Amino acid sequence: MDQPRATRTVTVVNRSGLHLRAALAIYQLARQFQTQVEIVMDRQRAGVTEVLSITSLGAESGQELVLEASGPQAEQALDALVELFAAGFHEDDAQTGGRS
Amino acid sequence: MKFADFISPEAIRANLVADDKEGVIREMVQALLDAGRIEAPEIESIVKAILSREELGSTGIGRGVAVPHTKHSSVDQLVGTVGVSRDGVDFDSLDGEKVYLLFLLVSPLDRPGDHLRALENISRQLRDDRFCRFLKQAKTAEEIRQLLEEADNNQFGS
Repeated sequence: MDQPRATRTVTVVNRSGLHLRAALAIYQLARQFQTQVEIVMDRQRAGVTEVLSITSLGAESGQELVLEASGPQAEQALDALVELFAAGFHEDDAQTGGRS
Repeated sequence: MKFADFISPEAIRANLVADDKEGVIREMVQALLDAGRIEAPEIESIVKAILSREELGSTGIGRGVAVPHTKHSSVDQLVGTVGVSRDGVDFDSLDGEKVYLLFLLVSPLDRPGDHLRALENISRQLRDDRFCRFLKQAKTAEEIRQLLEEADNNQFGS
């Protein structure tokens, strides 16, 4: 029997793009669902089960991405991920060092 | 972006001496100082900023790899180095395993794109198991420099 599938388009809205902390947030959220999620950027495809795979996209702020999920909780997983993207990964971009 | 664009060859360390997280970070920042890539008065501030970033979530992201990093006002271009720990370091990694390969990055405040492209390059190359294995086996900084050069020439990665 076919697995439920879902697809959403999202935009990277945080200023720093899909850097390490954002990738980690995606990885940690996606693993809470029984589903396989892939991020598609142009011709590249990244599974979210490995942080290095997500950061290898190098997706900058403003980049549009397609999320594809397959599995029993495909819809729920993508709903949650869409929220995470829209919230800019809950970053404040305040983490810096030195004199400013 | 290629490794040659941000990794300082003189700051590469093939045999990190420290055996804990703060120690290896300090050793690699010191290596950047010794290579003339950062200024001496900034060293404590940079180490502290990198450790603060680690508190937000470890940059030990599996595969025995960590990418400790920070933005810092004292640099006007992205600077980075590579360190290899023979025995591995406990880095509170995502997979709970020790870290053997470290890529340390210090970025200017307002250039998120450069940091992202460096991270993209590091990630792509490290997804190649041969590249990881060869780096871990490298005995000298020169061997690491050659591996980075081979990676820049598309001999690894996807």
